[in-house]
Amino acid sequence: MISAERPQGTSVGKSVRSHEAPRHASGRGHFVDDYRLPGMLHAAVLRSPHPHARIVGFDVTEALGLPGMVAVLTPDDVRSMSRPFAPGRYAAGLRTPVPEYASAVDKVRYVGEPVAAVAARDAATAEDALDRIVVEYEPLPPVVGTSEAMRRDAPLLYEELGTNVPWRGAVSYGDVDAAFREAELVVRDRLKMHRYSSVPLETFACIASADPTNATLTVWVNAQVPDVIDDALREGLGLRDVRIIIPDIGGGFGQKIHLIRKYVLITALLSLKTSRPVKWVEDRSGHMMAGGHACAQEWDVEAAVQRDGTVLGLRVRETDDVGGSISTLTIHFTNKLNNLFNTYTTQHLSLEGSSVVTNKCPVVPNRGIGKPGMCFVWERTMDRVAQTLGMSPVEVRTVNLIPSDQFPYQTPNGNIYDSGDYAGMLRRAMERIGYEELREEQARLREQGRCLGVGLAVAVEPGGRNAARDLALFPGIKGVSGSGGVNGATIRLERSGMVTLLLGSPNCGQSHETTTSQIVGDVLGLSPDRISVISPFDSEVAPWGSAAANSGNNFHLYDIGAAHDAARKLRERILTLAGHLLNTDPEDLVLEDGAVSRRSRGTPDQDGVGPSHAPSPHSPTPRLTFAELGRVAYGNQALLPKGFEPGLQETSYYTFPHAEPFVVPDEQGRVRAQFTFSAAVHIAVVEVDPATGEVEVQRYLIVSDNGTIINPSVVDGQIYGSAAHGISVALGEAFVYDEDGRLLTLTLTDYGKSTALETPRIEVEHRPMPSPFTTLGQKAAGEGAAIPSPAAIASAVEDALQPFGVRVRELPLTPEAIWRLIGSSAR
Amino acid sequence: MIPAAFEYSAPASLDEALALLSAHGDEAKVLAGGQSLLPLMKLRLATPGHLVDLTRIPGLNRIEQDGVPSAGDQRIPVPVASRLQRPMLSIGALTLYCQIEESTLLRQACPLLPQTASAVADVQVRNRGTIGGSLAHADPAGDMAAAALALDATLRAVGPSGERWIPAAEFFTGFFTTALAPDEILVEMRVPVLEGWTTTYRKAAPRASGFAIAGVAVCLRKGPDETCQEIRIGVTGVTERPFRAHAVEDALRGKPLVASVIEEAAEAVAEGVWIAEDVRASAAYRAHLARIYASRAIQGARDADTPGGLSTGL
Repeated sequence: MISAERPQGTSVGKSVRSHEAPRHASGRGHFVDDYRLPGMLHAAVLRSPHPHARIVGFDVTEALGLPGMVAVLTPDDVRSMSRPFAPGRYAAGLRTPVPEYASAVDKVRYVGEPVAAVAARDAATAEDALDRIVVEYEPLPPVVGTSEAMRRDAPLLYEELGTNVPWRGAVSYGDVDAAFREAELVVRDRLKMHRYSSVPLETFACIASADPTNATLTVWVNAQVPDVIDDALREGLGLRDVRIIIPDIGGGFGQKIHLIRKYVLITALLSLKTSRPVKWVEDRSGHMMAGGHACAQEWDVEAAVQRDGTVLGLRVRETDDVGGSISTLTIHFTNKLNNLFNTYTTQHLSLEGSSVVTNKCPVVPNRGIGKPGMCFVWERTMDRVAQTLGMSPVEVRTVNLIPSDQFPYQTPNGNIYDSGDYAGMLRRAMERIGYEELREEQARLREQGRCLGVGLAVAVEPGGRNAARDLALFPGIKGVSGSGGVNGATIRLERSGMVTLLLGSPNCGQSHETTTSQIVGDVLGLSPDRISVISPFDSEVAPWGSAAANSGNNFHLYDIGAAHDAARKLRERILTLAGHLLNTDPEDLVLEDGAVSRRSRGTPDQDGVGPSHAPSPHSPTPRLTFAELGRVAYGNQALLPKGFEPGLQETSYYTFPHAEPFVVPDEQGRVRAQFTFSAAVHIAVVEVDPATGEVEVQRYLIVSDNGTIINPSVVDGQIYGSAAHGISVALGEAFVYDEDGRLLTLTLTDYGKSTALETPRIEVEHRPMPSPFTTLGQKAAGEGAAIPSPAAIASAVEDALQPFGVRVRELPLTPEAIWRLIGSSAR
Repeated sequence: MIPAAFEYSAPASLDEALALLSAHGDEAKVLAGGQSLLPLMKLRLATPGHLVDLTRIPGLNRIEQDGVPSAGDQRIPVPVASRLQRPMLSIGALTLYCQIEESTLLRQACPLLPQTASAVADVQVRNRGTIGGSLAHADPAGDMAAAALALDATLRAVGPSGERWIPAAEFFTGFFTTALAPDEILVEMRVPVLEGWTTTYRKAAPRASGFAIAGVAVCLRKGPDETCQEIRIGVTGVTERPFRAHAVEDALRGKPLVASVIEEAAEAVAEGVWIAEDVRASAAYRAHLARIYASRAIQGARDADTPGGLSTGL
């Protein structure tokens, strides 16, 4: 379609030395908790011990009497000092808006919900004070499960809504009923995924510093998306002058997008109340209780199938357990538009959804959001079709994969897949894993009563968010959406000759500094280690737009696009200035190693020119270093070309140039949910101990297409981490509530996250199919392997247990769950 | 996740420590490695008013055989007379898991202790956690407790009125409770050198660093033609306290150590015991795992090719 102009340098494609790793490995990173302001107080948050209760009384007398205590923020304060959050795009499905404040003001709806906060001279005193606040609750019956919540006589979380199902909706593409009429058979299943999280090493943290004299507020916060915080503070507090500083972040994964705004607002209110800076750092149990969970989802799936394995249509009914908040009501549903058809040619699909509120922690995005669920639905269905038809799971997928000669490929819901060779990747994966040999090995081991299994999952990984996506469901959303996405970058050749790059997004550990320094280094003929990428993110300095988000797999598209464009503009300016100084046509100049010189026609002369002087006419190869150019650009008016604006700084704002068609939904609801499409084939080889249900992952192979790879070790790091997470999700990590709505997994000991000891070695093979739409052909890699890995493990465990006739329909596959599956099938 | 305020003392002698315990009564808590107590305090599930840190008291961190200090990687020559009197090993209460794990003396003379220590939590915990702290804390899923039971260890407690020896079998009295009086300190564990016995510790845990859902320690002495001459089995993680599986031991003594016999005997491992149920395992699954792991641990001890005991080849 278009040919992307490749940078001229050589660092793209190489695992250059990381910009970030040395400071993190040596403990020199700057995280929110590392900041200390003069006069700073420390906050602690009082959380609800009840899953569902009315707040009827509040007494803070004893707390205020504690030495070192400064202020308490009560529900009355929150109500009088702040406004509720504006309903965002994920609450757009509500018919009646429900006011949601930073803390509970009348009712608590989950264990851990903030009900008050204190500020004290130190964190220990603040925590002591919490024990001295008396809250009188009138406990209400908790609503824990979705089926219980949907009963007619169920207690209501939101009386004003009159239901615990505040949203029902559907999307439909193609002619689904016709597909089912035409189909030779229908395959049905009921599937389920559970609540989990990424439990980032760094929990939420915030410092708020209000300056009442001129009504300004500065916050330091480890939030992934600045505009969520910006909107919350401006709208919630009615402040105009808000500055957000985002330093190093110890892991985001989606956790630090939505719920964190509550705590930023609470901390800001304490700062306003005390006129002092206030720091709050969440503790681990608080994060487990109230930091947000991925949504538990249930699906009824029907597939319209032909005997050759072709899936003509899919009908999915989804129920989402969104917990005790309405602010992320549809987030796991609408994100399924992004990978609705996965890698398949199916033309007819309907997805109906119900979002159910329950007395559990609110749901938040987690690495892929609804996409791991959509992939789970597709891949479990593909295995089920294979079993029904007696075909191999590889064959069924091959029949349905989008052929490589059909790219760019438009899915029925309007996504345009930029590039891909899914069948080629699948073939390669089978070959590398030794699929046929594994099947023989499996047969041999089965004779000894051992259970080896091979599982498979294929997935697209969408990248680059389109803000207009949700209009496909909620055409009436006002003011919250926009379309496409914008983000910027500023680059400057300094007076010293150093190049400084300022990104429009925060960085939560994905090596953005390293990757962008490679991009701009190549454009400017400069080694990446000579580029300084500015941290922290500062909303008053950074050139940020709507896509300034460490989420949505945005970085590869918007940040790289902007950095590359800004570098190209700077390059033009450098060439213009150097051409003038060297009295040479810029066309004849090259940028190399931090200097501009005439295209070599002989031996370069290192002597070049003296500092701050025009080139010597005697120099055999005229050459100017960046430092020399810097001194001219920022200080020597006489040497500047006529009309040349001094300084060497350029800013670029990037929007995706190929966003049409479907950048906004058409009348059929077709919209580009995201703009680029990476893909992967995952193969898991597991052995299940049939006596105990324990699973050993013996091999885990990923054949991955992430487009042009800028830094292989960065991309591999994203793949390893996301695969490790998805495998752990499939095999046991989970938030578990008892029937009374109490969270049983309050610590990492109980939560069951895999450690390095349980994580298999992840084999990665890259099969890059560059995107024809992006700057360098790059595609996304951040959510990555978290999307297909739960499905791949489910597939492998089911395959291992084939002698027992076991069907894996839900996660997590804890040893006990597997033992029960075997028991129910075999006994 | 910040503990409530508390006083802290680090006495330099046992007498001083005992005096502090007597003075502060129920408010006082002994701090050894802190790997269990401090997390409980951070969660404010424990709020002791006074911590008595034992780590500065000399002589509590040691591994010796019959009073002879272990000399690094050297094998300790044992006098014949002492061997006839059933040689004993003494492990100070403040000995770290990692020291037990790495002790050459224990690897030869009592491999069950290093085997068990290496299964405890993670490296960080093993670098700080102590055997005495673990036993006195009496977590129902403590790994070392299973080993102490299987080894038929005796535990020395010192109190205001002197010292006393408590058999491991009588030490664990219930959920996080022991035979220790509040003013007593556990100072030493003694175990016999098990000449010619083989041992194993096997634990079911959802994560390698996690607490046992069921953990089984076995000391086995095989008779001629692969029969069970003597066996002792310590079980942890299953009920409110670690216990000896006497029913399994009785069922195996004198029997051939073949899989079917062992599996049948192991069925009795949790008989008559209340089975714990928690977020990690239901009672039914935990009981099942206890049976499977008991059977596998016994078979593991049967197949172990390096019996414990002191080398006599000197």
